[in-house]
Amino acid sequence: MREFTLKSVAKVKQPFNKIWFVIGGLLITTIIFAQFIPFTPSSYRLSELGVIFKRLFVPYGVRTWNDYFGYFKEMQTPLIESIQISLGGTIIGSVLAFPVAFLSAHNVIKNKFISVPIKLIMNLVRSIPMIILAVLATFMVGTGVLSGIVAITLFSFGIMAKMLYEAIETVDMSPFEALESSGANKLVAFNYAIFSQIKPIYLGYVIYVFEINVRSSAVLGYVGAGGIGQVISDNILYNYNKVGVAIITIFITVIVVQIFSNWTRRKLK
Amino acid sequence: MYGKQPKRWIINTIFVVLLIVVIIFTFSGSTIKLTRLKNLDYTLGDMFRRIIKIQWDFFFGVGDYQFSQGIVHLVLETFAIGFLGTLFGAILAIPFGFLGAESLVGKKVAKISEVILLIIRVFPEIILAIILVKGFGMNAFSGMLTIGLHSIGMLGKLFSEAIDNMDKSPFEALDSVGANVWQKIRYGVLPNILPDLSSITLYRLDINVRAVSILGLVSAGGIGSILTIASSMWSWELLGTILLAVIIMVMLVDFISSSLRKKLV
Amino acid sequence: MCTAIIGVSGAGKSTLLRSINKMHEISEGSIFIDDVDVSKLKDKELRLMRRNIGMIFQSFNLVKRMNVFNNVLAGRVAYHNTFKTVFGLFPKEDKLIALEALETMGILEKAFTRADQLSGGQQQRVALARALAQEPKVILADEPVASLDPITTVQVMNDFLKINKALGITIIANMHHVDLALKYATRIIGIKGGYVVFDGNAESVNEEVLFNIYGRTIRHDEMLGATDA
Repeated sequence: MREFTLKSVAKVKQPFNKIWFVIGGLLITTIIFAQFIPFTPSSYRLSELGVIFKRLFVPYGVRTWNDYFGYFKEMQTPLIESIQISLGGTIIGSVLAFPVAFLSAHNVIKNKFISVPIKLIMNLVRSIPMIILAVLATFMVGTGVLSGIVAITLFSFGIMAKMLYEAIETVDMSPFEALESSGANKLVAFNYAIFSQIKPIYLGYVIYVFEINVRSSAVLGYVGAGGIGQVISDNILYNYNKVGVAIITIFITVIVVQIFSNWTRRKLK
Repeated sequence: MYGKQPKRWIINTIFVVLLIVVIIFTFSGSTIKLTRLKNLDYTLGDMFRRIIKIQWDFFFGVGDYQFSQGIVHLVLETFAIGFLGTLFGAILAIPFGFLGAESLVGKKVAKISEVILLIIRVFPEIILAIILVKGFGMNAFSGMLTIGLHSIGMLGKLFSEAIDNMDKSPFEALDSVGANVWQKIRYGVLPNILPDLSSITLYRLDINVRAVSILGLVSAGGIGSILTIASSMWSWELLGTILLAVIIMVMLVDFISSSLRKKLV
Repeated sequence: MCTAIIGVSGAGKSTLLRSINKMHEISEGSIFIDDVDVSKLKDKELRLMRRNIGMIFQSFNLVKRMNVFNNVLAGRVAYHNTFKTVFGLFPKEDKLIALEALETMGILEKAFTRADQLSGGQQQRVALARALAQEPKVILADEPVASLDPITTVQVMNDFLKINKALGITIIANMHHVDLALKYATRIIGIKGGYVVFDGNAESVNEEVLFNIYGRTIRHDEMLGATDA
């Protein structure tokens, strides 16, 4: 782009800095897609934000603080439902993902005709956002906690299977080969060499997925798949206090799960 | 090794027992009607047949439909919310990244920043969307703000980690050359972390684009708005049409995001 | 003038060297460069003073993901205001200085390669080019060859010698390898337990002097062995 001539008469060409392409690309993309987002500052009512915030966390209307704290008791059943959904769905999905991941790992099953289609289906399931899976589940088994479990199961299956097969494909095969060469049969070698390496990784992933699923409980209920989210969608139009209580419950649950997961993750190392 | 054998057996049994307990717990309670699963095998076939019937007119917004009513338009809007929201969040997350880097600001400040980010992260997106819709209207702008604000929480934490793990040796060299703070940042920090920050942001874009589908439920824009219609109409065909569009978009974004990230090492 | 500082690990070589450009603070006393007490300088004056002192590190301290040219150019930041440097608006003369420094070090063809794609010896040369780009009067080197293999070590030491003779820049280096120090330096400073126990010509260093500095006979790993490139 720019040429320099040194004292020694040597010539140097400075190549074009690629960063300008990146910035240009970003700018163009931003301008194109900003067309889809309306920007009308005059219509914004920022004071409403404050009002809602207050309504969520401070009793209003005819309600008192007693009422407010009373709502927490009503959270019991929905909370248990949410845990049933997150925990159960994660476990079932992860258990189902285990064999499927092995079947699709190309260092376990050498036959590409089996591993590639399975990977394709997995990628398909993984590309579906949780909420669409939830709606799909309600179509399949009706609204209620069962659909939540089905949705979480499918979702967990999708991400677990992919993470697992990637882990299996990058596992260290040398202990396996060593055991095989020393006379052990394939199954035993597999169990000791590969399984044992995968198990701690697998557990780590299960906890990670569980964390994600607990956070989805707010959304699931919203589409009728049960749990605490249902409290929110039922009350969003007329009783913000209950919604606020539900939010706090979700908050506490997620933080507890985070702490638990950090602790377990540390222990696994 | 033989001494450890019985222990392993015990741990395995405990795991299996725990698993069974969890399963029982999951399906207990009067709210679950397991009988519905029985109908599933006949439903699955019917489901599949109906979900494949894509409504192409509606998909592209041609024929009886306007482009702005079509699914493609909605998907583009979904991506727009995801892209601009992530960009917005990434830019605002940078100062948080610096504030949360222990090696730069010390333990106290880093801890405070970490807690603030935690609160932002844990706040359910759907609630954030509901609140923002009241303030900014039932449009894609509220959606973009939701994604943006939520991403600050996620990105801020990862940015701090990247800054903490950064190679600090150029700092010494720049000090010895006589550089001031800004020059040290420009020539010591930026070139090293920009690739990392970009990689983190691209990964977040991937996740965010999926999260946008939730926003439509509360009228904050995106494909979620049609989802509620499909849901209330129990229409498999509509759901199938939506699914096709979403899957294509997610796979495209996933592909672009991974290829760009591979180039960033 | 080529000076080498030698001594046991931990004797204080690094401390002494880094006190010269105030990378290390001293608790009492003064350090004079051209009649200016370096230890009392602060902020802007300190930075202006550091402009004239180049520093070479054992681990090169280059920005790995940046290309060689920009790494060397970074040596010029203290000569311009913040705005220009942050936006990379260096004047043409500066860019020529940087390129010429690279030419002197014999790695001009690598000017636009990423720093982490070079070998250890090449990276140290880039670091030297960066120091040269400062147009310094003195170059401090903190164990500059400790991370390099024997052959590259000799090459880099020859580069130091070339800079010293051709450009008249004073070199002060911490050396781990005694034989290297004795071969390349004209003046030797021996440090023991935080004190200067020897300061004189390289020729006057004999076994007895070394025994005094190190408190024992020289170990095998403190001699490089290879003498010619």
